[in-house]
Amino acid sequence: MESVATDEEWRVCFSQLAPGLLLFARQWIRSPGDAEDVVQEAFVRFWRRNYSVDNRALLYATVRSIAIDFLRRDNRRARRESTAVSEMEQFVEPQFAVEDESEQALAVALGRLPNEQREVLVMKIWSELTFAEIASVLGISQNTAASRYRYALVALKKNFVPHPQ
Amino acid sequence: MNDFEELKRELRKLRPVPPSPQLCARIEKALEDCRAGAPPGRRAKWQPQRSPYTWLSSGLGLAAAAAAALLLFVLVKPEQPAGKNPTIASLTPAPAGPSINARFVPAGLTRVVYNTHDEGLFFPAGSDEPMRRVRSQRRETLQWRNPRTGASLSVSYPSDEIFLIPVPGQ
Repeated sequence: MESVATDEEWRVCFSQLAPGLLLFARQWIRSPGDAEDVVQEAFVRFWRRNYSVDNRALLYATVRSIAIDFLRRDNRRARRESTAVSEMEQFVEPQFAVEDESEQALAVALGRLPNEQREVLVMKIWSELTFAEIASVLGISQNTAASRYRYALVALKKNFVPHPQ
Repeated sequence: MNDFEELKRELRKLRPVPPSPQLCARIEKALEDCRAGAPPGRRAKWQPQRSPYTWLSSGLGLAAAAAAALLLFVLVKPEQPAGKNPTIASLTPAPAGPSINARFVPAGLTRVVYNTHDEGLFFPAGSDEPMRRVRSQRRETLQWRNPRTGASLSVSYPSDEIFLIPVPGQ
């Protein structure tokens, strides 16, 4: 709360972070529409508190909190989402704009990661959060965040077989 | 991590699906609404607060009730019904001294925290500000002792307490 961001700053901030935030939200919310609702609520809530735009960890933590609350709010919906997650091995939501089979295979391999590894990887790769920020978002130590990241890479490397171009 | 450089490059080539134009418009509208001077529900400052649904109070209440019932059962004897033959105990005059309830005196309280877990950030209902939720699990043991007879009484119970710690803005 050190700085009061202007509207223009928020527009720039949102345009830069929105794809990563949406991808992050979709680690829990499989429906793109619901994930967008979560991102909107988190972003507006974040803005209303006048937090510094540099505090990305809190913004991601806000998205995560609202996404999890979203699941808890409606048990029926939660069951549906849970079922969707369990069925993810057979069906992968289009979270990425894939252009070839190799990218498709990588997206599938990513979807097979355990949730706790995937959320770290998503924050690290596509949002470029530091391990300190990721640790703050998840309420874990930096070492744990780094370990999960490494486990995710190891698992991906083991499971991902790139298609020949 | 050099082993993973190629993999990380491949990952970064994957582009997340961008948000829909409707989302951008909704965010834009929210920004305009707030700029119009109607930021709803802004609170002056966060104060440290306990979770309203802590289990400690209920645990303590149950433990206290159990201890009181046990003490009453041990210490309070029913009066002899009239008309029955008097026993030696009933003929013996009551010893002078402190009241019967004062025979057992509190002798100690031990509180062992055996698990503390940080459950991450949490938004209380209707609140805009995050708080860190920390769950503390412990076992508490209350002890009483009768200084005259040396008898002791202890009640042990688990308790589960949730602390909500405000997260300062940065």
